[in-house]
Amino acid sequence: MKIADIIIRSGRSIKQAKARTILTSLAIGVGAFTIVLSLAVGAGGRMYASDMISRNTDPSEIYVQPKQDTDLLFGQSKPKKYVETTAATSFSSAGTMKTLSQTDMDKIAVIDGVNLVTPYYMLTPKYVTREGGDKYAVTTEVFRSSITQDYLAGGANNIKAGVVVIDEDYMTALGFSSASAAVGQKIQIAIDRGDNVLTGQKNTKLFDYEIGGVIKVASLLTSGKTAGVQIYRDDAKAMAEYSTYGTAQEGHYMAVIVSTKKGYDTKKISEEIASAGYNAKTAEDLMSVIFQFVNVLQAILVGFGILAVLTSVFGIINTQYISVLERTQQIGLMKALGMRRKDIGRLFKIEAAWIGLLGSVIGCVLAVVAGTIANPYISDLLGIGNMYLIVFQPLSIVAVVLGLVVVSVASGILPARKAARLDPIEALRTE
Amino acid sequence: MIEVKSVTKTYGKKQNTFVALKNINFTVPTGASVAILGKSGSGKSTLMHAMSGLDRPEVGEIIIDGRNILELSQKEVDKFRSHKMSFIFQSFFVQAKESCYDNVSLPLEIANIPFRRRNKMIEDALTAVELIDKKKSRARDLSGGQKQRLAVARAIVNSPKILFADEPTGNLDSATGGVVEDLLFNYNKKNGVTLIIVTHDPDLARRCDMQINIKDGEIESIRNTK
Repeated sequence: MKIADIIIRSGRSIKQAKARTILTSLAIGVGAFTIVLSLAVGAGGRMYASDMISRNTDPSEIYVQPKQDTDLLFGQSKPKKYVETTAATSFSSAGTMKTLSQTDMDKIAVIDGVNLVTPYYMLTPKYVTREGGDKYAVTTEVFRSSITQDYLAGGANNIKAGVVVIDEDYMTALGFSSASAAVGQKIQIAIDRGDNVLTGQKNTKLFDYEIGGVIKVASLLTSGKTAGVQIYRDDAKAMAEYSTYGTAQEGHYMAVIVSTKKGYDTKKISEEIASAGYNAKTAEDLMSVIFQFVNVLQAILVGFGILAVLTSVFGIINTQYISVLERTQQIGLMKALGMRRKDIGRLFKIEAAWIGLLGSVIGCVLAVVAGTIANPYISDLLGIGNMYLIVFQPLSIVAVVLGLVVVSVASGILPARKAARLDPIEALRTE
Repeated sequence: MIEVKSVTKTYGKKQNTFVALKNINFTVPTGASVAILGKSGSGKSTLMHAMSGLDRPEVGEIIIDGRNILELSQKEVDKFRSHKMSFIFQSFFVQAKESCYDNVSLPLEIANIPFRRRNKMIEDALTAVELIDKKKSRARDLSGGQKQRLAVARAIVNSPKILFADEPTGNLDSATGGVVEDLLFNYNKKNGVTLIIVTHDPDLARRCDMQINIKDGEIESIRNTK
């Protein structure tokens, strides 16, 4: 018998048992739905994460931190001997938080391929204001030209010492009518240095800056950026030096950012820094951490889908056994007419394939529809703008459909074998 | 020509053996009509199954056109059946949910007849049994006599050399049964096809060229009526 005839015949018997076929294939559909949706969420999550990281990090930069005592992270197990150290800031009795100093920076700077070592300044400004205006609490960070931002006015080219970038919200709060009106205007940022114990005098200094650009407020998820004001590196240095003057933190940093020279392998330099006794992370490392998270999440979701598919396997076996029993006579007749065992087996396996195809197509279509409908709501809820978190990849959908058809055929093997082995004489005796 | 030589078929094992056929010998000339007569349980159906290769007796030979079908492989027997033989059963075994056309198409699909040749063969067969106007009707909408005529169409569509009929009129009243009988004998005469009818109806048996009486698995008598 030709395979085309077998396919048509099996399709016809599937059609003749509509209710049974649809119910059985729905079980597969649930599995397909779950798997396709979780693959889409995984793909979307990875795309989103890589977009987010590439927007906020520079692949040629390395984020370097000192290696910390594990006790500090995981809790102290045993009492520790106190060691006198100057290059450390005590945060808790459990241990000391190590910091990086100029010596460390010099050590890193001599590594081949390192371009610039910049401290990661921990800036804690008091407030931001316009002269005579209201004061607003603010966070600041160092402006980085390597990161692309959406400017409402001005731009990255304006930024130099004494010039800052503010976001839309601060622009409004500080009373500027529009972004273009804000550019070129002056603002002040107040920095505290510990009070003078002897005189009780408060040491607060106002730093004057010019606005060089206004950016769109980046949502929390798009950038992870919360700083309202970005300042030039040298200004940050001045601020940091002012605020830590005379304290133990002076000249000590939580982290440094290492930029690498063009043509050098960032990963290799990162490894070299790590072998020098530091904790070094490239943008890629950061990305892989997030990817790992997304992948684990996706694996769990896909796991549920596979569980559903596993359940539906028994459904298919059961349905096909019933189908064989129901059609004992037909099988007997076909055998009497000279149909080969192999072809009878195929007839039932292809029937199972039809069920699998129907179920997985239903599941995939529903998943795509559900995902497409849910996408704008999810993006809205998470405030990620025009990006969608559920991204369907045609290739993975095709792979899921094919995979499930194969699973269905495999589940159809036992009933098909039963059909192929039926004794035609016995089968034709059944009334 | 079909030669049945010392065929013995036993069922069961050891103490529980039951001999269904005991040393059966006879020869059927090509184009003859043969009635295998006997009561139920006499072994007449087993004999038909053996002659068609559905059942395989452990002793004896069944030689059809010079080939012992008991020595053929399963695959060869299947091929042999799909091209040379056909069956009509007491309870029709037409596929109720399929159209008449698809019912008749089945043997052609099994015999690997190319698609483009099928349509003409199917329509000819349906015309021969006067069911061409029911081509698209589902088999379950037919009356009993029509169903058996459909079964006849299915049996003759691939121009078999041997036609086996197992109680072909058993489920029909005498009028519709007569129509089916006429169809079978006309086809037998016109095309020179060997017709083998298993029956316990002596009237039907009388219309055949040859009558083989079976009792308790043995041949009681062979009578040539013509």
